[in-house]
Order: sequence, then C-alpha cells, then structure tokens
Amino acid sequence: MLTPAELVWLIAAVAKGDQAAFERLYAATRAKLFGVVLRILRRQDLAEEVIQEAYVKIWNSAGQFNPGQSSPITWMASIARNRAIDVVRKRSEASIEEEPAAMEVAADTPDPLARREMTEDLKRLLECVGRLEPDRQKLVLLAYYNGWSREQLAEKFGAPVNTVKTWLRRSMMDIRECLGL
Amino acid sequence: MPYSEDHIALAAEYGLGTLDADERAQVETMMSVDKDFTAMVLAWEHKLGALNGMVGSVEPRPELWEKIRAAVGHSQQQQAPLVLPDAPQLEPARTIAEAAGTLGAGTSSVDNSNVVQLAAARERRWRAVATATSAIAAALVVMIGVGVSMPELLPNSMRPKAVTQVAQVTPQAALRPSGQYVAVLQKDAGGPAFILTVDEATRNFTVRKVGASAEPGSSYELWLISDRLPKPRSLGVIGANDFTSRPVLASYDPDTVKNATYAVTVEQAGGSPDGAPHSTPIFAGKLIETVPPSR
Repeated sequence: MLTPAELVWLIAAVAKGDQAAFERLYAATRAKLFGVVLRILRRQDLAEEVIQEAYVKIWNSAGQFNPGQSSPITWMASIARNRAIDVVRKRSEASIEEEPAAMEVAADTPDPLARREMTEDLKRLLECVGRLEPDRQKLVLLAYYNGWSREQLAEKFGAPVNTVKTWLRRSMMDIRECLGL
Repeated sequence: MPYSEDHIALAAEYGLGTLDADERAQVETMMSVDKDFTAMVLAWEHKLGALNGMVGSVEPRPELWEKIRAAVGHSQQQQAPLVLPDAPQLEPARTIAEAAGTLGAGTSSVDNSNVVQLAAARERRWRAVATATSAIAAALVVMIGVGVSMPELLPNSMRPKAVTQVAQVTPQAALRPSGQYVAVLQKDAGGPAFILTVDEATRNFTVRKVGASAEPGSSYELWLISDRLPKPRSLGVIGANDFTSRPVLASYDPDTVKNATYAVTVEQAGGSPDGAPHSTPIFAGKLIETVPPSR
C-alpha cells in the first residue's frame, strides 16, 4: 500500500485525466476495496460489479476529493461501500432468500489488529465503541463490517426491529459524544 | 447550520449503513441540496471508515481492470485518438463543499462554468463515439423530439443542457434486455405518495399519484438525481391527473436511470422556472427491480 500522501498525489493526477495515475491508484487500492465490499456482498460477481462502478465514480469525481476532509483510502472505500450497501438493501427488499446461510458465515467481525498496526483514527474510534455495552459494540461492528440491515440485526440479536433501531441510534449518539463530533 | 437529532442520527446511520433503501435515498437527496448536511455525512463516513483498516485485503480477478478501463472510456492504444484530447480537466483543488455548492439553488455563474466545461469536454468525447453508433443517433432523435414537441416538459434553462444528457447514452444501452422498475416516493408510511414505474427497454416512466394533491398555485415537479450528473434534472411537472406518463428518461443511460434517486419538490405553478429545484424534496425514493430482465 502506498502512503496517504502518495495516494493524494495520484488522486490529484486522476482528477486531471491522467490514465496512468488511475491505473496505479487502482493497483494500490483494489484489494482493500474489494475486501470491504466482498464482506458485505459475499458474492464475487456482485462485488466485482460494485468495484467497477466505484472506480468509475472515483475517476469521475476525483476532483471533488478534499484531503482536508478525509483520507484517500477512506474516501475511496466509502464510495465502494456505499454502492455495496445500496445493492444489498435493494436485494434484501426484493428477496430474502440465501440470507440465513450468509448470516451464519458472516456472524463475526474481523480479527483485531495488533495495536501498533492501528491508525490513530482507528484507536480513537475503537475506544469510543469500546465504551458501549458489549452487545451494542457487536451490533455496531456487525452493521459496519457486514452491511447488515436492521432486520438482519434484529434476527441476530433476537430483538424487535424497532428495538434495534433505538439501540443503533443511541449507540451512534454515544459514539458522537465520545468522538466530540 | 444546527441540525436536529433526527438529522444527525440519519447522517450517522447512513455512514454506518443501517438505513433502508428509502432512507438512504432520502439522505442522498438531502446531500444533493444541502452542503452542510453533506459535510456531516462525510464526517461520519470518515470517522467510521477507520474501521476498514481491520478488513483484510482480497485480490479481485485481473480481468476486472480491463472492464473498469473500458467503463471510464479509456480505450486500447489504436482507439486512443477518440479519447485523449478530451479527457476531463477537473481542478484537483476543487473541494466537495464547492462541488455541493453547484448543486444548490444559489449557484454562482463561476461554479456553473466549471460544470459546463466538464460537461462540454465529456460531450465532445462522447460525441465522437456517438457518430459511430446508430443507437445513439436514435436516442438523440428522441431527445430532440421531446425538446421540440413538448417544450413544456423541460424548463427553458434545461434545454441547452439537454445536449449533455446525450453524453450519458452508451451504445449497449439500447441492446440490453428489458426489466420493470418501481419506486415509491413517500414521506412516511400511510401518507400520500407517488408511485413511479419505469420500463427499462423504452425508458418510459409513469407516475401515479396516491392521495397527494399540490396546493393551489403550486405544482409537484419530479427530479432525477444521480451522482453521474452535476445537478438534479427535471423530469417535468406531475400533471393534475392520477397518471402522468412521459418518455423523457430515454435520454439517460439505463444505469443512471436505475441507480438515480427520484425526488418530488413543490414548485411554483407550472414548475421550476430555472431548471433547479426550489424546495427540499418532500418525497424521494429509488427504483427497485420488480420484473428482472431476461439474461
């Protein structure tokens, strides 16, 4: 992985229409973005479609990236993750088949990194998530990593959807206060 | 601008990913007209995005790069002359906040010129491609037909911009099998709503009003909001009858049509005079596939 400064430079070049820079940006970030969306979509073909759309959007909107507002990899991952969430939300409303199996596979969160590998932003966020009750911690992390809907979370936690809705909202407000947002 | 806890929670849960499709569409619509709200959503995406640091990398198949390169219009060496002279010239320093400003009602002419320049560059690039394909020529005829025969469908200021809509049409568009899509544009369950149906093949849309009536002296106007377009595009005023049916989506490519947010605003009688929305969307939604195309 390139450094954030190198990625910012590449994105600026992409914004000017530099195709070689776009290829380098793709090479440096594709595996991270693919890992993020595959975890949510759990299907290679859907994940590839989403990654394709995400990089088209990155190409078209590179000029809107603001280094003061976000890190390059977070900006790119957000574009890909938002597309993935849009896809799973539409699919889950049209059909709920294959979800129970997918839920079994995905019913965990990624292994924790060694603390020295964590960015400052990640340490700070995990401290705030860590102040939530244990069940709420899991709720928030499953929602983020697996892209689960409130309905899927309700099933996992054996609670009514409205209760999950309240938990999520309360948890996000607690995190907001802790982060000082 | 101070936001209610409801708005803050909406922005946070958008970043978390737990909103349903309608709520996500609502957030995206609000982002397209409110740059402070956009900044709040982006701040949440940034804070939560740190979590991606714990997700393992997975290599996609090597073929994916070729697809992406083709999708952004980078051609193989022998086709290079079509593309290279007209690559988009965006200013790298242009911020998200400035870009969001171009979407709002108070757009300055300076911001507009950036967008138009970009659109013009894309348009030149695509026009070169268009000359090679009769599919695009057909789409162009439909688009001009709408502009000439039914000018009331499009606010005046949109008519020059309509040319850039052609830029979004791809040759594959007309060849793809047909699907049926529906969006329920609703504020809250049980309230009045619009039901939008789109036929993927003809890209005709029909809006059905369910219990919603505009106040006297105002009109409901339907908008297409897409991250591929610089600002919301009017699809025209929703008529007084229960059903309004129009072919104006034919000038947008199927992916834009499928992935766009559709929103309804209250405008002065007869519709927005300048092609830009003047109220926060009161109804918004995204299309959901009901009859999948036969693949």
